[in-house]
Amino acid sequence: MSESNKFIFKKYDANASINRRTAIITIAKAGLFSILGARLAYLQIVDKDKYEILSDNNRITHRLIEPQRGIIYDLQGKPLAINRQRYEVVIIREETSDYIKSIENLKNILPDVNIDTEKLYSEIKKTKKFIPIKVLDDLSWDQFSRLNANIHKVDGLYPQIGFKRYYTSGQSHSHIIGYTAPLDKKEKDTNTLADLSSAKSGKLGIEKAKDVSLRGKLGNKNVEVNANGREIRELDRYESIQGKNIQLTIDSDLQDYCYKSLNDQSGCVAVTNIKTGEFYALVSSPSYDPNLFSKSISSEKWNSLTDNIYKPLINKSISSQYPPGSTIKPFVALAALENGVSEKREVYCNGKHEIKDTSLESGIKTFHCWKEEGHGNVNMNEALKVSCDVYFYQISREIGINKIAEVCKRFGFGQNVFDSFYEEKKGIVPSKNWKLESIGTPWMVGETLSAGIGQGYFLTTSAQLSLALGQLINGGEKIIPTIVMDKNKDVQKNQKISLNPKHLAIIKKGLEDATNTQGGTSFRSRIPGNLKMAGKTGTSQVRVISSQEREEGLKKNNELPWEKRDHGLFIGYGPINNPQYAVSVIIEHGGSGSGAAAPVASKIFKYLFDNNLNLKSKSISNV
Amino acid sequence: MFSESKAELTIFDKLRSINYFLLFLICTIFFIGTLALYSISNGNFSEWPIKHLQRFILGLIIFFIVALLDLKIIFRFAYLIFIASIAALIILLIVGDEINGAKRWISFAGFSLQPSEFVKYTLILALAKYFHSMEDYHENFISKLIIPSFIVIIPVAFVVIQPDLGTALVIFLGGVSVIWISGLNYKYFISGILGFILSLPILWQYLKEYQKDRVFTFFNPERDPLGNGYHITQSKIALGSGGIFGKGYMEGTQSHLNFLPEMQTDFIFTMFGEEFGFIGSIILILLYMALIGIAIRMALTSKSLFSKFLSLGVCSVFFIYVFVNIGMVTGLLPVVGVPLPFISYGGSSMLAVMFGFGLLTNCYINYNTTLTKGSFI
Repeated sequence: MSESNKFIFKKYDANASINRRTAIITIAKAGLFSILGARLAYLQIVDKDKYEILSDNNRITHRLIEPQRGIIYDLQGKPLAINRQRYEVVIIREETSDYIKSIENLKNILPDVNIDTEKLYSEIKKTKKFIPIKVLDDLSWDQFSRLNANIHKVDGLYPQIGFKRYYTSGQSHSHIIGYTAPLDKKEKDTNTLADLSSAKSGKLGIEKAKDVSLRGKLGNKNVEVNANGREIRELDRYESIQGKNIQLTIDSDLQDYCYKSLNDQSGCVAVTNIKTGEFYALVSSPSYDPNLFSKSISSEKWNSLTDNIYKPLINKSISSQYPPGSTIKPFVALAALENGVSEKREVYCNGKHEIKDTSLESGIKTFHCWKEEGHGNVNMNEALKVSCDVYFYQISREIGINKIAEVCKRFGFGQNVFDSFYEEKKGIVPSKNWKLESIGTPWMVGETLSAGIGQGYFLTTSAQLSLALGQLINGGEKIIPTIVMDKNKDVQKNQKISLNPKHLAIIKKGLEDATNTQGGTSFRSRIPGNLKMAGKTGTSQVRVISSQEREEGLKKNNELPWEKRDHGLFIGYGPINNPQYAVSVIIEHGGSGSGAAAPVASKIFKYLFDNNLNLKSKSISNV
Repeated sequence: MFSESKAELTIFDKLRSINYFLLFLICTIFFIGTLALYSISNGNFSEWPIKHLQRFILGLIIFFIVALLDLKIIFRFAYLIFIASIAALIILLIVGDEINGAKRWISFAGFSLQPSEFVKYTLILALAKYFHSMEDYHENFISKLIIPSFIVIIPVAFVVIQPDLGTALVIFLGGVSVIWISGLNYKYFISGILGFILSLPILWQYLKEYQKDRVFTFFNPERDPLGNGYHITQSKIALGSGGIFGKGYMEGTQSHLNFLPEMQTDFIFTMFGEEFGFIGSIILILLYMALIGIAIRMALTSKSLFSKFLSLGVCSVFFIYVFVNIGMVTGLLPVVGVPLPFISYGGSSMLAVMFGFGLLTNCYINYNTTLTKGSFI
């Protein structure tokens, strides 16, 4: 062993050692650099031809594979939104030397299709040269095969098979399911499918609300292409991942039935399971054909939808807000009971209620009962049954607006029912603070009276009404409103809404009598037999009736133009012995709740009593 | 405690002693980098080249400040500077900006800095001071290795958990190079290398999924032609298709398609090689070799051990940067994120490299200064 090996560091002849070691390290560096040089020589001189071919002729290009959108099922496992094959043609600019020639050739091969060349060329010019641009969409099988046979004539053009959405259940489901359409400008930065020429996203309803999970993940493949951009071979493939399937709580048959029951009137229906919070139907009428949007829709068609006074594109059950009218009375009655008003308390109704109003010449403002001649002496049960306005003016005035607002909010008014819909409106529960904050003026006594019969600032939606009634009738069990089945949802049974069972019994009795006893507002729509429904009608004014008009004699609703007629509302539950369902029906400008809405609700309840939806519910395994 | 100083050098003496040929080579390579960035931004000067230029000017300022400092001050605070840089790494783990799953940057007053870039040099400062100050070179004690081991392992560990394997590798090899020059017996290196190879299977388990992927891909690029292998494949196609003379400035077809993301940083050599061909690539490598050669010569003129260790360490770190980067884009080494100095777009590495050359130049200016053994401060 040499001397040097004895020491862990070299002897302190440091300079010599450092020089020696630096020399070694420098030679090593030079050697490593030489390896780099040799490697470059190998790549750039020896293998040059191979790489030149790879670079110029056989380039590896990257193609995207469209994912299938998740399927939407109904409660019974029936598919509502599925995917069908779609044949399309795209162009990739960098893969053709002359795209104008390619497009001209395409026109010769398919003389029967229209191509807006001007628009297409400008799009080709502004898009990056390696991004595919859609030239033709939704070709027939015949056109598609003709193109494939002549593919050598059209450089840079690719026939592709993609998917298009198809809605199986027609107009009755359009609003709840929504539709898909090509991405908006804004979405192009954020949508994970944006690189796909055929990318679409949900625009309304569930398609929009659940777009992220429905859309799936892009796949891709690397293919070797020749100078003309033709695929020579596929190098690898990463399959796309289909979007998650979704099962709705909507029962397709019931939804259809409700839609038909509306009979083309403008209006909406919500049906709720009051134990689980599942919405079995959420209907809006009139509607549109959702499959219109699978192709690009003509501007004529589009305008006829947007200009229609019945607003077919709007989901009225969650997006249209209406004054609840008398359907709010059960909740006002509850507020009165909770604030010391006895159910035995009687109010004398002579057809009107007067309050001081110094802003008026007469100094007195008159609030009318719907029944001009008055109801006479009414207690709470009678008031609910005959819907006496004067009774509710009186008790509302006694308890004040804030107590009414507190009860209404407790049962879900003024809040979104679902968390998933972008288009949902949450309504308004007026209160002193609310008015000061949003209007800026203090609350007036007269406004309490209007609010007490669901008029004035009060606004609600059909879905909200059926949820609120459901949570009242089930005994104050807080339910989570659902429209999409979630197997993993933990059922929260413990949350209670404060509600005195005695109070509930009084209100239930009032509603039962309103439907099932002579003289009740919805008596004509009662369901005979063991299974009965109970409910409250509502008629909400959309115009102010001047005193002059009143003196000249009130016009009947059917003498007025449609858009000035009153809305007809009904909220109900059943069967009364063991309540399962809450239903709300709103007929826009239908005249009255008892005349227009209650008969529709009655039909729906009959259907519900005849078909036990809980038994039909079928869990889908691939959801 | 410092040795008797000879006549103090004035600032003009110092400026006169700077090796301007070194500076000229640095500027030349930087200029090539700016040209490359100009090409990558498709002739848009304001996208990357302008910032590259600004960073270079800032780098030059740092270079001159560091070069003109009193060497004794650098020697005295060597450990403190090292500890401060380690502290920055620790702070980074707590407050750093997470980008692509890794905490590498620390934002400070509008700047994003990568402390790990500076640690490459502060580590060498600390090791140089340690070996310079080591008492009694003769004593055969393995304990002499304990402190240098910690000086190397601590920063490497912090950078590994960021995780940034490439930088950790450069730091580690830089440290090892100083230990090598300090004269540690060969047998320790040999057993170290053997030990490393034997412990590979254990280390493997601690690698992140993407790091394992890169190693797999290195051995078989076709395994993942879309992800990491795609980079290597496309990089090779670009370089190879450049041929001997290249496709011409701004004429590269491969690099101007956007299949190489972040072309302006680690893969910039690819574009350079495609556009300037084998000749251009070799010239660039020769420029780097010349720069390193001159730096080594400058390093050997110093009289103090500290200066020698420091300067030679700076040379090694610089070499490792260049070699790992070019080795990586030519498919010789796995893809680890190491920039090409003066050419890749990136602020921290530019400033750090200029800091390193500042230290080297300082040692060169003060080649005659002798330093006594230093205490902790």
